[in-house]
Amino acid sequence: MQNNDDIVWSIINKSFCSFKVNTKTQKFCRHEYNLTGLCGRYSCPLANSQYATIREEKGIIYLYMRTAERTAFPNKSWEKVKLSRNFEKALQQINENLLYWPNYLKQKCKQRMLKITQYLIRMRKLTLRRQKKLVPLQRKIERRENRREEKALIAARIDTAIEKQLVERLKKGVYGDIYNFPQVAFTKALASEEVQEESDDEREEEYNEGGREEEEEMEEETRAALEDATEYVEAESDDEDMESDEEHEFTDEGPEESEVEDIEDMARPSTSKGKKSKVSVEYELEEALPEKTKVKNRV
Amino acid sequence: MWPVAILSRCLWAHGLSPKWLKNMDHTLKHLKTAKMASALARPLITVYSEKNEKTGTSLHLPVVFKAPIRPDVVSFVHHQMSKNRRQPYAVNKDAGHQTSAESWGTGRAVARIPRVRGGGTHRSGQGAFGNMCRGGRMFAPTKTWRRWHRRINVNQRRFALVSSIAASGVPALVMSKGHMVHDIPELPLVVSDKVQSFNKTKQAVIFLRRIKAWTDVQKVYRSRRLRAGKGKMRNRRRVQRRGPLIIYGEDQGLKLAFRNIPGVDVCSVKKLSLLKLAPGGHVGRFIIWTESAFRALDAIYGTWSSPSSEKKDYNLPTPKMTNTDLSRLLKAEEIRKVLRTPHKRPVRAVRKQNPLRNVRAMLKLNPYAAVLKRKAILTIQKKHLDKQEFLAKKTGVPLQKTKQQVRYEQLIQKRKEAIQKSKAAKPKTAKKAKKAPAAK
Repeated sequence: MQNNDDIVWSIINKSFCSFKVNTKTQKFCRHEYNLTGLCGRYSCPLANSQYATIREEKGIIYLYMRTAERTAFPNKSWEKVKLSRNFEKALQQINENLLYWPNYLKQKCKQRMLKITQYLIRMRKLTLRRQKKLVPLQRKIERRENRREEKALIAARIDTAIEKQLVERLKKGVYGDIYNFPQVAFTKALASEEVQEESDDEREEEYNEGGREEEEEMEEETRAALEDATEYVEAESDDEDMESDEEHEFTDEGPEESEVEDIEDMARPSTSKGKKSKVSVEYELEEALPEKTKVKNRV
Repeated sequence: MWPVAILSRCLWAHGLSPKWLKNMDHTLKHLKTAKMASALARPLITVYSEKNEKTGTSLHLPVVFKAPIRPDVVSFVHHQMSKNRRQPYAVNKDAGHQTSAESWGTGRAVARIPRVRGGGTHRSGQGAFGNMCRGGRMFAPTKTWRRWHRRINVNQRRFALVSSIAASGVPALVMSKGHMVHDIPELPLVVSDKVQSFNKTKQAVIFLRRIKAWTDVQKVYRSRRLRAGKGKMRNRRRVQRRGPLIIYGEDQGLKLAFRNIPGVDVCSVKKLSLLKLAPGGHVGRFIIWTESAFRALDAIYGTWSSPSSEKKDYNLPTPKMTNTDLSRLLKAEEIRKVLRTPHKRPVRAVRKQNPLRNVRAMLKLNPYAAVLKRKAILTIQKKHLDKQEFLAKKTGVPLQKTKQQVRYEQLIQKRKEAIQKSKAAKPKTAKKAKKAPAAK
């Protein structure tokens, strides 16, 4: 069986060829040395022992040739000829090298070379313009990473961290007098403080002043009371008792008031009497921000 | 012109150096008929060392590689052979029949399928036995005595084997099967016997790398994936490609060295199997032969001139065509000479025309018919005219001249006048000359 081309073609065509790609209208050949890219009797590099192609590597065009004698030695089978960059000269080179070769191969080689030179020109033009690199995203990975980001965000508990930081700074005295507390949170903190640390004192004073309880219960009104801590005039308060109590408060509950003032006026941490309390400000984020206590700026 | 002569002319045209020709050993002189010459031109194959250097040895290509490549035979035999490793499967023979169900018959407004007897359970009254019933037996329950295995004729088996060996020697077929053989030094690839004494996988891997067969193994690695389908849970979980096949003459540890490399198969020359040589039923596996294996092939399979010494009464299959280059044959002088000239313009069938209705057809057959016809026409005309004259005479009405007649008479008149004029115009001397001798 000397000449194998026909046998090879009949096998490749009818049964399996690993380079063949079948579409509804056409058969393609994925072989790198294929001249036309299509699967056909005379363009198949496997079924033609005498074959020639044009290939381009890094912008340089080469002519590859193979003859029947060399097919048995796969690593030596392709002979490579570098073509001139001048199109005319390259055509002549092709003609020289493929003299006496079948016309089909000559023709297709020239056509392919033309196509390659054209796309190289286009490539060079494109590189002069803006280059956008298309990067394919993998949906699965993207989704996964996004979800993980979200989870990490939640896990970091940034809010609490910030809160801690701020409180620390507050304690240190970085902010001085200038600080706005949201009213409710502030009073809450106060209340909790009073409950925890000055339970005895409070009780005494409760007995002394009946209205005290009212004040404690009615947080909103204590807000007003606080406001009145420094400003005596309060039109809003309903009870005269409150007023009187407030006055009482101011006079009697010196330490507490001073503490309150301490909280408010960070400029004077030294004035706190014995209790440099560790203020844990519990505040709640309210949707409609309440009136904040206006702090008197004492520089 | 012998095909060989054509070949040599081609070689000259390509300007090939003689070193390429060295490998072509035309054993024409040794052969009896010139016909077989082209078929049996046996090239020399160099043996490569395990380090991919050419050793001095070169062997003649065993004749097996010239055997006819018949993918249809290979496919059929492979198909049959692959059935021989099957294990039987069947459903339980009692399945679906372990009930005593009876049909309720007609009249109960239910389908007549046998129903389970008794009561007190869901199952009672349900259909049983049929393939359409839930819990019934399947249609045609599978049996273990199905014919699982196939026997194949010995000669067919050998034919297929020989074909696949031949195909493994054609680089195009090996490449089309998908093996990465573009860097190996030669095909068929024959390696020195040192490979047979490898016992470490490391040695084997180094060898494959040197020979440039490693890309094929890499392809196997890259192709490892999970099987699609239920095979995954049936102990066939992973799938991969097939790599090179190593055929040895004598195992001195080679099997152990190569067995852990994925895709690589190992086989003894004496026990070649089609399932290894043509996996999937497709020809063209990448084979690496050891020297002793390669030498043994001629003895095992025989040459056409001498039968096999290992197999009883076996000789290689004779091909239907010794020269298979069809396009070349059709252009060859020897064949063209014997053919008749080609009909470039084929004669097409002509539609038959009826001569009795078609004048030309009639004339083709009987040219005298024209005369007859003409005569007939003229006689008719004449009769017509005679009749008219007769009538004219009888009635005393003179015939009117037709336009044509009038013009005809005018024409004749003119001609007469013209002739007389020309006569008058002629010189008198001629007349005199004429008259003079006449008078005398």
